[in-house]
Amino acid sequence: MSVKYLDGKVPEGPLKDKWNKHKFDSKLVNPSNKRKFKVLIVGTGLGGGAAAATLSELGYEVESFTISDSARRAHSIAAQGGINAAKNYPNDGDSIWRLFYDTIKGGDYRSREANVYRLAEVSNNIIDQCVAQGVPFAREYGGVLSNRSFGGAQVSRTFYARGQTGQQLLLGAYSAMMKQVNKGKLKIHTRMEMLDVVIVDGVARGIICRNLITGKISRHWGDAVILASGGYGNVYYLSTNAMASNASAAWRAHKKGAYFANPCFTQIHPTCIPVHGANQSKLTLMSESLRNDGRVWVPKNKDEKRAPNDIPEEDRDYYLERIYPSFGNLVPRDVASRNAKNQCDVGKGVGNTKLAVYLDFRDAIKRDGREAIEAKYGNLFEMYERINDENPYIVPMKIYPAVHYTMGGLWVDYNLESNLKGLFVLGEANFSDHGANRLGASALMQGLADGYFVIPYTIGRHFAEGVSKVDTNHPAFDEAEKTSKEKLDKLLNIQGTKTVDYFHKKLGQVMWDNVGMARNEQGLRKAIEEIPKIREEFWKDVKVTGDFDNLNMELEKANRVADFLEIGELMARDALMRPESCGGHFRDESQTDENEAKRDDENYTHVAAWEFTGVGKEPIRNIEELKFENVKLTQRSYK
Amino acid sequence: MSVTMCRRFSASIVKKQVVAFTGLFFCLFLVGHLVGNLLILVSPEAFNKYAHALVSNPAIYAIEAVMTILFLTHVVLALKLTRENRKARGESYHLKRNTGRGATFMSDTMPYTGILIFVFLVLHILKLKYGTYYEVTYDGLVIRDLFKTMVEYFRNPLNVAFYIAAMLVVGIHVSHGLWSAFQTFGFNHPRYNGFLRKFSIIFAMVVAAGFMVLPIFCYLQGAN
Amino acid sequence: MSDIGLMNLKLKIWRQKNMTTKGKMVDYKLDGVSPDSSFLEMIDQLNEELVTKGEDPVAFDHDCREGICGMCSLMINGMAHGPESETTTCQLHMRKYKDGDTIVIEPWRARPMPVQKDLVVDRTAFDDIMVAGGFVDINVGSAPDANGLPIGKGNAELSMDAASCIGCAACVAACPNASAMLFVSAKVSQFALLPQGEVEKDQRVLNMVTKMDELGFGNCTNAAECEASCPKGIDISNIARMNREYLAASIKAH
Repeated sequence: MSVKYLDGKVPEGPLKDKWNKHKFDSKLVNPSNKRKFKVLIVGTGLGGGAAAATLSELGYEVESFTISDSARRAHSIAAQGGINAAKNYPNDGDSIWRLFYDTIKGGDYRSREANVYRLAEVSNNIIDQCVAQGVPFAREYGGVLSNRSFGGAQVSRTFYARGQTGQQLLLGAYSAMMKQVNKGKLKIHTRMEMLDVVIVDGVARGIICRNLITGKISRHWGDAVILASGGYGNVYYLSTNAMASNASAAWRAHKKGAYFANPCFTQIHPTCIPVHGANQSKLTLMSESLRNDGRVWVPKNKDEKRAPNDIPEEDRDYYLERIYPSFGNLVPRDVASRNAKNQCDVGKGVGNTKLAVYLDFRDAIKRDGREAIEAKYGNLFEMYERINDENPYIVPMKIYPAVHYTMGGLWVDYNLESNLKGLFVLGEANFSDHGANRLGASALMQGLADGYFVIPYTIGRHFAEGVSKVDTNHPAFDEAEKTSKEKLDKLLNIQGTKTVDYFHKKLGQVMWDNVGMARNEQGLRKAIEEIPKIREEFWKDVKVTGDFDNLNMELEKANRVADFLEIGELMARDALMRPESCGGHFRDESQTDENEAKRDDENYTHVAAWEFTGVGKEPIRNIEELKFENVKLTQRSYK
Repeated sequence: MSVTMCRRFSASIVKKQVVAFTGLFFCLFLVGHLVGNLLILVSPEAFNKYAHALVSNPAIYAIEAVMTILFLTHVVLALKLTRENRKARGESYHLKRNTGRGATFMSDTMPYTGILIFVFLVLHILKLKYGTYYEVTYDGLVIRDLFKTMVEYFRNPLNVAFYIAAMLVVGIHVSHGLWSAFQTFGFNHPRYNGFLRKFSIIFAMVVAAGFMVLPIFCYLQGAN
Repeated sequence: MSDIGLMNLKLKIWRQKNMTTKGKMVDYKLDGVSPDSSFLEMIDQLNEELVTKGEDPVAFDHDCREGICGMCSLMINGMAHGPESETTTCQLHMRKYKDGDTIVIEPWRARPMPVQKDLVVDRTAFDDIMVAGGFVDINVGSAPDANGLPIGKGNAELSMDAASCIGCAACVAACPNASAMLFVSAKVSQFALLPQGEVEKDQRVLNMVTKMDELGFGNCTNAAECEASCPKGIDISNIARMNREYLAASIKAH
């Protein structure tokens, strides 16, 4: 039970040459041999979809798995803003190096230099590829691609397709998959949920799935398994993630030995539509560009009863402008989120639930006119009004932060391979590129980079090293199928008194209160104490209706919440063991005199890669040291 | 014709385009038919001579044959498409309503108005074209007095009412069918869509109203 | 939250155990619905009650709940995605209903999209149509520079209009004929309007339409209920475009 020091397998040589050199050094698989290797891909979002298309184009035998009714439904589809690339089309001084630097700095120096550089390097190819697929990016009148600027960067490098960039990129990857299905090179299993990954002699050799319509459990073998199953934001119950987004595939792999890295790194988005009541099922994000013109405020008086427009200037507290005079409303996501929470914590929140702050466009409308504001934010205002039934042109918007993205994930090396050989992890499911905080428009970039341009090279290394043949009759498959089935049976047989959502909400509350925007030792210890209690109660008293052999959404939910109940605890442990503040992880104990996040570079410039030892048992915190040879670590300040 | 070609031309879109084409043809026919028949307002002689000119033309049999084929094609294909459409739904809705932003009474009733028009047409041909045969002599030339047949037929107010109702049905059918035919052939442009929709309705109204004049006129003639 | 304005509703919902059993409409009463709830949250609330009573909850498709994934469906009082224009079911809110209302909830109905359970239907037919030709045949690695191919803003915007389809199949559900023309034409249009898709456009439209027919979707009668029900406002000019593309392609092919 000793701490291991992990090797990220970053190639030698200057940063700029690492990826090229690595590609050259990687052994190739003969084209005629490729068809002999089978790859299983769990998830059909940007990472998984892109990988499925690309690997099958290369000639591998590929099978994809999605829990949805179609590969096109993956949650990548919901990304609004855009995708970054260092094209420098606007001629404003962008470069691969600058994109790399912004991403490293944005991640608060908790990501791997070489990975981030590679990401910036292939970013341009992504745009080329997507355009060639027919993704209708926004264009200028001259016919060239249009760019806009986004948070955390001083250049315009974000490509976009209206407010539906994620949708268009995903549909691009989806149609690439359809093309491969057409050619008979790719098989897609829809409504199939991965229950377990099968490990033989430390190598990933297959997965166990359940057909969500018929309940049938099936075994699938492969020469490599790729997980591209997304993040674990739904551990908080309320988040901007889709309802079916879950951590189960990644978590099952973790329980089979894959390390889980930096689980406490979660991103909370400041401009979401607030919770309306107990039946709220999910949160809706609005682009943070709103903060360019909206002013954030709360009433000075806790017991304010007046309508927002009746509250005079002197009774309003524009707290962001007051605390951060130079950045004002445009402070980074984490700072804006934390301050909103602080205001609500002291009782100054607004609305029925008192869990919201105002985002007011009155002054902007006065200054620029309603039309100008409508041109910039019309669709967002419309969406807001649809959900909240208030006209934001007249009444200030109410906003509140919400969990949005998880930077942590399964630990992978430079090849995107986990510590289990043959198990690769892409996109949000891995931890690799965003450090402690992800910049806007970088998630799409990473998913596609991993799928289109990284995995096709690195997976070849695994095959070239030689893989022995295994079939689904191997005892490891028997074992995995048996435990998966038993777990589901158990869930169905508890027949307790409380619904799955009851437990999920309860867990979410503990997570939000203690492992949310600002964390401290006391709260984290409380979470570590309470979560196992909820888990215990869950396994005693949950009520799952329906049967095994039919579509049973309660059973699906229960199966996923069972995993959230374990991962939540790990997140709290990780947060507790990282007493520094960095990016999205803010520890009350570690702040500057100006209440800003204070890193502890001396002791925590590393990745915490957790090793599973059993449910309820203390996991092992393995370490990968992060070496910064090309950038200098600096403290953020937005005053 | 190869198999793929057969399949290509039996595709839903092609079938619809054939229906659209034949439909458009009958829209043109309606105009010609109406203009000719309105000669009745000029004088019985003009009307009867027009009718005679039509039937004495040696090409009339060929033309009638072509029109029958076009008409039957329109009917048969439309019925086939409708049957396929019914089948495509499978189990029907417990409750189905239009949004009010798309389908109209006209579009909803196309198959029914179509069938009614078919029934009407059979009766129309039987009662008038093959109706009582009278003769009249103009300048020594003996020709059919179709005018008399008409007046006699429309002396019965029930026949008048039936005709007016039938023309309403034709109007409803055409008001959707005409613009629909354009859409089916791919004519759709934001600048002309509004016009085309209105044109279809106005066209249908004018044609229907024009034909309604005939029974009313004949009825009034007969009453004298 | 206060209890003021909470609604009591009567629901009539299609219940069907699985693909092989026959379904029927079942009546439910649901009290205390907040007008701020979304339509799906209202069903969540019903399901929580059903589960607590030990009954099987109503299965329905949903995922992102922000109107983009295309999972949610439902015929609500006879209209696809409910009465609002350009709104998915997940974005429909209960404040559009009154206390005491009866709401009829049914699955999409189309023979090529059979009910799998309750309100869940199988939409893989759409994938099948996409497989037939809904792509540009280009492999990763061979793409030219993104700006090497200027595209006029006009066509780029029209293409984006068509591309915003979320594949929910409301068009099929709302169509009096269960036709998939709007879905197919949106994809055909997206590519036909761009130079990238130009090369294969004839083959694409022929293959996709052939597949659509083969699957047993109905024929378009230009009723435009699809356009009226489309949560993304995709209009039937796309169908017209596909009609002429198809005609041109089938003539050219021989």
